Amino acid sequence: MNRILSLIKTDLNTTFGFSALEYKFKSKKDRWQIIIFGIAILSLIPSYLLIVNGLSSLYEAYRNIGQKPMFLLNGFLYSQLIVFIFGILYVMSKYYFSNDLSVLVPLPLNPRDIIGSKFISLMVNEYLTSLPIILPFIIIYGTRGKEGILYWLYSLILILFVPVIPLTLASIIVMLFMKYTNIKGEKDLLRIIGYFLLLIAILAFQFKIQSITQNAMIEGEDFFLKMATDSNLLVRKLGLGFPPSMWGALSLSSYSSIIGLLNLILFVGVAIIIFIAMIYLSERLFFDGLIGNLEVSISRGSSKIKATDYNKKIPSFLALGLKEIRLLIRTPVYLLNSIGGVVIVPIIFIISTSMDGGQSLEGLNMLIKGNPHLISIAGVGIITLLGIMNCVGCTTFSREGKSLWIQRTIPIKAKDQIFGRVLSSLLVQFIGVGAVLCTVAYLGYLTIENVFWITILGVLGSIAMAELGMIIDIYRPLLDWDNPQKAMKQNLNVLIAMGIGALYLLGVGFLVYKLLDKVDILFIYGIMGLVFIITSFVLYMPLKKLIERQFQILE
Amino acid sequence: MLKLQNLSKIYSRGDIKAVDNINLDIKSGEIFGFLGPNGAGKTTTIKMIVGLLKPDNGKVFIDGIDAWKNPIDAKRRISYVPDSPEIYDKLKGIEYLNFIADMYEIPKEIRQERMEKYLEIFNLKHAVGDIIGSYSHGMKQKLVLISALIHEPKLFILDEPMVGLDPKSSFQLKEIMRKRCDEGKTVFFSTHVLEVAEKLCDRIAIINKGKIIALGTMEELRNHAEERESLENIFLELTENE
Repeated sequence: MNRILSLIKTDLNTTFGFSALEYKFKSKKDRWQIIIFGIAILSLIPSYLLIVNGLSSLYEAYRNIGQKPMFLLNGFLYSQLIVFIFGILYVMSKYYFSNDLSVLVPLPLNPRDIIGSKFISLMVNEYLTSLPIILPFIIIYGTRGKEGILYWLYSLILILFVPVIPLTLASIIVMLFMKYTNIKGEKDLLRIIGYFLLLIAILAFQFKIQSITQNAMIEGEDFFLKMATDSNLLVRKLGLGFPPSMWGALSLSSYSSIIGLLNLILFVGVAIIIFIAMIYLSERLFFDGLIGNLEVSISRGSSKIKATDYNKKIPSFLALGLKEIRLLIRTPVYLLNSIGGVVIVPIIFIISTSMDGGQSLEGLNMLIKGNPHLISIAGVGIITLLGIMNCVGCTTFSREGKSLWIQRTIPIKAKDQIFGRVLSSLLVQFIGVGAVLCTVAYLGYLTIENVFWITILGVLGSIAMAELGMIIDIYRPLLDWDNPQKAMKQNLNVLIAMGIGALYLLGVGFLVYKLLDKVDILFIYGIMGLVFIITSFVLYMPLKKLIERQFQILE
Repeated sequence: MLKLQNLSKIYSRGDIKAVDNINLDIKSGEIFGFLGPNGAGKTTTIKMIVGLLKPDNGKVFIDGIDAWKNPIDAKRRISYVPDSPEIYDKLKGIEYLNFIADMYEIPKEIRQERMEKYLEIFNLKHAVGDIIGSYSHGMKQKLVLISALIHEPKLFILDEPMVGLDPKSSFQLKEIMRKRCDEGKTVFFSTHVLEVAEKLCDRIAIINKGKIIALGTMEELRNHAEERESLENIFLELTENE
């Protein structure tokens, strides 16, 4: 047992860098960095409050139709679904691609020890995702309904167990996936494609289940009568999509009766059983999927170079951009999060609208018919948002990791650093533009005008976003990582950049909203373009200075 | 070629003087060996020269250029080989070399000629089309060496260059270092291997606890020692007395 505790402790320590943080807090300069970082996190609060405010209205809406528990179901469903989807991404890199494996595997440990400790560490990490989602639901429900002490006690237990089931399912799926894709040859490519398809399949399945349950629900004749008498009716019908969320919601909505207790036991019991099953399964699956990864690929020396392999001289910024793109494409974690990220958003949109039989499309069509320019404006907004969500700019220096010494000792100007790195982000953005335009075509609104404005303004907006991300990343680069996942998806710079980027976009959106219907649409496009160009220029100056400074003082 | 003036570095934690007021003046055409026990301040000094660690005090001049005031100009004249070759695992060897050549603006014909020459010398031609991640530690070390030689730097700075190299490559590297100095270029390197320093270096500095405790040619060091003895004995004697 001591062994496992020690494993968990070490894993948590390296994942969250407690020892490193303690070391940092002792030095004055770094202390400031932590404080500024805290302020940056605080800047995310306005957007968050806006969402929480919206949730209060949702609570009222459910209360008015006598289906209050539905509110809780939403909380559980969202948090568990997101933990599951993130889980699929995290589990893969944590279990199979982290550098500590080469240390852990030769130690006298069972697969269940390794998986168990990694699972716990991941779970702690997932609380960072699940808590901000589930807490507002539970607090709003509890305070508005003036629920009793037992409600809060149940809540505490449920919150602790929320990530277990989705993360366990993600672990099992990934372990099976890795075992059966552990094929010699083009393993990496196969896995990237397979993984992507897996994610899409899971999402499609989820949306389909929801639409089936929704349709089945309304079909019953005495539906409205039943709804008036049974406040848990909607939860029981809709919760079938993911029963654990239903148990969570029911245990809280009926906490004062035995039904609540039974559902709580069900929620916790199933979580424990499925976790134990996963741990036992890991004994049979883990090493089978892993061994191939630890093989040292031997340089075969078969790929002889030709005279054409010696490139013509190209400008530094271009060489840097090219290097960035190569690394992005060849590192599965980077590829999934950057290009995968910009492609998946439109795909989710298409899946979610096509799986519900076109109901949501009708509403959207009505909205667009009222103002056909909305498509272009929304397209530009999405592309610009993807400019930060693609994670390329806001992790560009972090991704250098221990190789940053190369950038700092070669004679390359800060200007070229910016151009090259923005260029690599834009290349990813062009794929995003393509995906968004495909979505527009799917909706049936593809016109030359839309293509033109979405592309031009979207790219302009993306430049500013890439620069914003780079400012944050060079200010506090995360260089000491052992797993590329840490440089990208577990990098708080992404979160900070997204928060600030979202605020900025809200501002631009508000401006456009105020102007819409008052002035000519061309004028609005002009204003948007101007705002993006000015922002890019305003960000360029401090970014250049910051790169020069940080390249000198980083240790 | 390389001038260090009152160079100091204090680590913020515990007020440890990693490098304490170092002065060095290294002429063109010299091979300069930088010796010292573990933790003496060798790597810290080298990092301050190449721009990876900002000095708390003092100046670094490379070819007369203040390396911390005009870093780009200074970096064009040097190349640096770190003690552990952390480079981009997902690039092919040749892609990495081309990338570095672009940074130093080397035209195609020249880069091809130099790359072919050094790939041949270090016996890496067969592997340069492969991903760096598939290389052994020594192969990576050789790739970094080749990349550092592509632009024929005036000042070649190496931190423990012999670690991880096979005997043949180690021999070749020593040959290259010697040849460069014959051409009037400068080599500055740190090492633990005293025989290498003894045979190869024109001058040697021994650093201990951040301070230079001995500086001169092999002959001068011997004269200062109690008995005319080997570098190993001189080294042990000096670092123990401190």
